Amino acid sequence: MFDNIKWLISPEFRQQCEESEIIVSTRLRVARNIEGIPFEIKMKQTDAEKLVQVVKSATEMNLKGKYLLLQKVKGLERESLFESHLISSAIVRKEQPTGVFISEKGNITIMVNEEDHLRIQGLSCGLNLTNLASEVYEVEEILGQELGYAFNENYGFITSCPTNLGTGLRASVLFHLPGLVYTNEIDKILKSTLNLGMTVRGLYGEGSEIKGNLFQISNQHTLGFKEDELIEKINKFARMLIDVEKKARDVIMSRARNELEDKIYRSMAILCSARVISSDEVLNLLSAVRLGIGLGMIKDIDVNVLNEIMLVTRPGNIQLFYGEIFEEQERDVKRAEYIRSKLTKKNSN
Amino acid sequence: MLCDDCKKKPASIYYKDVSGGQIKELRLCEDCARKKGLLNDKKLSPVEVLQKMLKTTSHDDEKIICPVCFLSLAEFKKIGRFGCSNCLSVFEPYIKTLIKEVQESEKHIGRKAKSGGRRAIEVFKLREELRRALEKEAYEDAGQIRDKLKTLGVENV
Repeated sequence: MFDNIKWLISPEFRQQCEESEIIVSTRLRVARNIEGIPFEIKMKQTDAEKLVQVVKSATEMNLKGKYLLLQKVKGLERESLFESHLISSAIVRKEQPTGVFISEKGNITIMVNEEDHLRIQGLSCGLNLTNLASEVYEVEEILGQELGYAFNENYGFITSCPTNLGTGLRASVLFHLPGLVYTNEIDKILKSTLNLGMTVRGLYGEGSEIKGNLFQISNQHTLGFKEDELIEKINKFARMLIDVEKKARDVIMSRARNELEDKIYRSMAILCSARVISSDEVLNLLSAVRLGIGLGMIKDIDVNVLNEIMLVTRPGNIQLFYGEIFEEQERDVKRAEYIRSKLTKKNSN
Repeated sequence: MLCDDCKKKPASIYYKDVSGGQIKELRLCEDCARKKGLLNDKKLSPVEVLQKMLKTTSHDDEKIICPVCFLSLAEFKKIGRFGCSNCLSVFEPYIKTLIKEVQESEKHIGRKAKSGGRRAIEVFKLREELRRALEKEAYEDAGQIRDKLKTLGVENV
């Protein structure tokens, strides 16, 4: 089962991405519904069974990858799929039949019977919206021909909730912004995102806390624009944010270089030597090390190794990684052991 | 003290502008301060706008019902979700403003749905028919359905 998230630590995913130390990852999802099948609030058990089956055959006939019926996936494995951003918390909570398709390359997933019939999503490291969009829409088109999407001339693709009408598109970029946090500029920046029609969330989307200086920024509206325009708008915004984050880092370096260096090297030392560590502490320490890489202080560690640690050390994933169920305390020990093995190797790349 | 701008409402906001080397003091009412962009109101998210808009109800909401899934406009306003793809066109005259407020737009200009053969739906129907035919031991019918499935490109019938 750990195979399902292996792609995130596979060489293909570990490509060198531009500004990958400030931009952790990019995500894009489109919501689609099938004409003739009731939506979530009116869906009966038999409708859900039909939905899961038709999407299964549509994917089998056209796409390479695996289709999992979530009810048959064990609790821990479901948690791992969630922690790896392959499925949402909403779908995990559902009692009706639900499914998830994971493409062979692992970068495209389709949630079946979430709030909408289909949530087709693409995930990539760094800032990669344009390429990701073309891959997502290739899948979207193929499935559209097989299934027939609910569409309205005025309001575009019909979704369960009016907040997703039109394009059904949500593009998110996960930023690492310690510079703006330490200089207390982050609130000002985040306020301005709202005026630009964008919203800010934590690492695990809606309702999740901000941890490890990680901010997920995505578009708020889905109606009244062309998909390419939105992607260009977010690209521009991301480049602007990279710029202000770099400037904030320069300010800290000129004003408090010693304190910052101390924080970074101490964080590195804790990660390399801790024997018991919680997943939230890991996120905060990783943020400092990530900053150290960005500032050129830490040279022998690749950002992708940090991404891998961030993913594998989540509570569910660490248990799957070792193939055993651990109590919380034992998990903290195993997590520390895993991190030491990743960071103290001679060639950590 | 009255607002320096409209001279009608009482001033509740004191504003000091020190840009351009001169100190300019203004006493404004809330409306005028907002007009000048001096109040930094938190913009509502689409979900918050939706929650707010759904509160506007009318007695007739119970009577407006989608003929396909039987969701009433009143129920839509309680949950904020459509019951099927037909609800939108039934409720459209009553929720135009809601959509416009939530989305800050009223027209889709993005990609369009492409029509196709809906093969996967057809395959599902045929598989159901096949199952029923086999239950009834109607092997001739079952054979015909298998052939249809094969023409649709299904290998594992």
